[in-house]
Amino acid sequence: MNLKAILQEKFGFEQFRPGQEAVIRDVLDGQDTIAILPTGMGKSLCYQFPAALMDGTTLIISPLVALMEDQVAIMKKNGEKRVAALNSFLSYQEKQQVLRNLPAYKFIFISPEMLVQKKIMQAFKRIQLSLIVIDEAHCISQWGFDFRPDYLRIGEVFHEHERPPILALTATANQKVVEDIHHYLKLSNPIIHRQSVDRPNISYSFVKVDREDEKLEWLKNHVKRTVGPGIIYVASRKKADEIASLLQMLDISIASYHAGKEQEDRAFIQEQFINGELQWICSTNAFGMGIHKDNIRQVIHAHIPQTMAGYIQEVGRAGRDGEQSAATLLFTPEDEGRTRFIMQEDLPTETEIRHYNHLLAENASPTEAAQLAGISETSMRIIEYYRERMVVDAVIQQINALIQEKETQLQKIIRFVHTRVCIRKEILAFFDERQQALQAVCCSNCHSLDDTWLAKTAEDSGKQALNWRERLALLL
Amino acid sequence: MELSSILLKIIDQLDGERTIYAGYHLLRGKRSGQTLQDVEYYGLKPYFHIIPNCSKEIYDEAVNKLCQAHLIYFAADSFAHTTEKGKMEAQAIAEPQFNGWNYRGRELLFFSRLSLIVQAASHLKAGEPSFMPIQKNVEVQSFVKEFARSYSLKDPVFASTLKEELLHCMEKSGMTEEQKFILIHRLSGYRLTGWTWDQLSEQLQYPVANVRLLYIESLHRILKVIEASKDMALLPKIAENIKVTSYLTESANKTKQLFEMGLPMTAIAGRRKLKMSTIEDHFVEMAINDQKFPLTQFVSEAEAQAVVDKVRQIGTKRLRILKDQFPALSYFQLRLILGARTGGERS
Ligand SMILES: Nc1ncnc2c1ncn2[C@@H]1O[C@H](COP(=O)(O)OP(=O)(O)OP(=O)(O)O)[C@@H](O)[C@H]1O
Ligand SMILES: [Mg+2]
Ligand SMILES: [Zn+2]
Repeated sequence: MNLKAILQEKFGFEQFRPGQEAVIRDVLDGQDTIAILPTGMGKSLCYQFPAALMDGTTLIISPLVALMEDQVAIMKKNGEKRVAALNSFLSYQEKQQVLRNLPAYKFIFISPEMLVQKKIMQAFKRIQLSLIVIDEAHCISQWGFDFRPDYLRIGEVFHEHERPPILALTATANQKVVEDIHHYLKLSNPIIHRQSVDRPNISYSFVKVDREDEKLEWLKNHVKRTVGPGIIYVASRKKADEIASLLQMLDISIASYHAGKEQEDRAFIQEQFINGELQWICSTNAFGMGIHKDNIRQVIHAHIPQTMAGYIQEVGRAGRDGEQSAATLLFTPEDEGRTRFIMQEDLPTETEIRHYNHLLAENASPTEAAQLAGISETSMRIIEYYRERMVVDAVIQQINALIQEKETQLQKIIRFVHTRVCIRKEILAFFDERQQALQAVCCSNCHSLDDTWLAKTAEDSGKQALNWRERLALLL
Repeated sequence: MELSSILLKIIDQLDGERTIYAGYHLLRGKRSGQTLQDVEYYGLKPYFHIIPNCSKEIYDEAVNKLCQAHLIYFAADSFAHTTEKGKMEAQAIAEPQFNGWNYRGRELLFFSRLSLIVQAASHLKAGEPSFMPIQKNVEVQSFVKEFARSYSLKDPVFASTLKEELLHCMEKSGMTEEQKFILIHRLSGYRLTGWTWDQLSEQLQYPVANVRLLYIESLHRILKVIEASKDMALLPKIAENIKVTSYLTESANKTKQLFEMGLPMTAIAGRRKLKMSTIEDHFVEMAINDQKFPLTQFVSEAEAQAVVDKVRQIGTKRLRILKDQFPALSYFQLRLILGARTGGERS
């Protein structure tokens, strides 16, 4: 089959990006497939393409409601109207409407929580599914950076012999995570496609300073004289607001972005950034997933991220257009403790688990018990998953293992930021890869990194306040 | 427009008969019996629900500001009073044109509809039929979908008509230039994205809270113009069902239905498994809001009249004082009379 002709005709792309064609062929052959393609390299095409050639519905399991909504909106924008999303944010009526019309949709996005509900499952039994896609499949692994307990249940929903092929997609999975994907999704002899995580057009630098306030000085200096568009990742909402307003005072076109802002303002910031009306975003890790902006030139971390995989995902938002881009990690020795605190904050302690268990024995509902025991919702779902399978002592052991794993991950990234060898090489090694070729512009450890290209030549255009009459005239 | 000056007006109107947090509940639009009664008794309908997400910190900050400026003080009974200076200042503040009681947050729904329609029309005008909707709310999206069935958004006449109507309403509403700036900058279109509250605040050099108040007031102004006008094609359609039609809380509405079926109050409480005091609150709510509330099923006409006269004579609506004057009437009966007969202006 001439897939390339279809690519040009149906999707308007000249050629496949590395890895896409091979994945698509295996999916079309009906094989279970695991595809590990770097961020922004076009994983969505790996299911949209086969779906276009197959009858029936493609089901896509996606971890975040916002991500799901963005994907649905993008597909609609690109002219595919037979798309729906099923998630807990729909009203009862909206849900019913989608469920009544299931066969009419070519693509259905669903959250894992929703998928495991009996009624929903039965509804899916009645339609012809041609492909099941697990997006961001690393969420299934307890050893991954983004563990979502509900992902563990996906494998239990579909039975090996009665289901269409499964395609698991992720940007970041080392061997251990791939094994988990295989095991928990109960895949049968999956074909694994792995593209190198290396992004040759991204250069890496580490900047170590002694104190928190030196970070600010560094940022002021750096952002003032280098090009955007860029993202500055920070550890907390408060920091995001603080840094954004400081840089704004220097006439830098910047806004903060985090889950504490109201929905409309978040939409504005995202849109302004994509449109180029805003040059910089200072954000918690709430920003990024599902953002489609090709020309991000810089990603700066002003803290030590929690895991390598998370770091790579965030860095991968830079340079999707293939042009030279820069990733900078700015840290102080104190960051280690801060990051550890944030990581462990939302995992329950032994006392909390016992208290929770005790409350359940007294007939409290899981939600009530979690609230009373001071356990976060994610933790509650993790505990519930294990509780259905083992006694409480074993649950505690499991959670302790998780805490330890987090610490291991943290130690890995701490070692990473202190490395003296090539940063790129370290990243590849983390994902069980060996470095292929040296990059001309590599990293701050290799040779003195040439970043003259980063220098800003013109002032940011920024937002110009129009008078309201002019603006209204432009709008309508 | 500042929270503290609005608060000063509210405290002045509450006339030293309420604690400081009555204003807080009023601004947030709390639908409890007490707040709903206060709204009516003290003529505070305009301010109801105009800052639904008002935080305690912001509120306390405004309170402190008034205290420090010696505009209000707290008496031994912990009620908030305006000082002489405060009274004068309150009178001097221009009357803002809020209409919170009638919209209760639905003015935002109006603006969301408008925003999505403008975004769509703007993109169509630029020859770009697809865009990422800035409004994610499904209710808003389906309204606009429905709307687009009746009006051709891509017709250039549509865009210019909408623009003319907006200009006309903004002009006629008497809003300030700043308010026009805010409204138009909260809209998005082709290559022109709306501004966040922070960005507006930065530009206008007001705190975010003030910008929002200006925004809400401008919406109330514009809706008033739309409702009164007869010759506009689009905006009245976009403002359809924005004004609240049932002023009762949902729960009070259920109680009302049972009452209209002929059930006595105790039976309603039993049927609905609610406390008697809650049912009483519902009846007071009905008395306030329902012009046809059968007050004389609960008190005689003479009693009602006597209470009304007394309120005028002694100039207070405080229950404890009235109860001393009318020992034969229950608190509940007094509340019904006050609700049905002495409310502020009814709109
Ligand atoms: N073969 C191709 N040629 C050109 N552009 C492509 C091709 N395939 C995909 N793209 C574009 O690449 C962009 C990123 O695609 P997509 O969202 O599928 O990436 P992703 O791998 O899922 O990223 P993420 O890791 O962020 O989830 C999209 O704008 C898409 O249209
Ligand atoms: Mg993706
Ligand atoms: Zn290197």
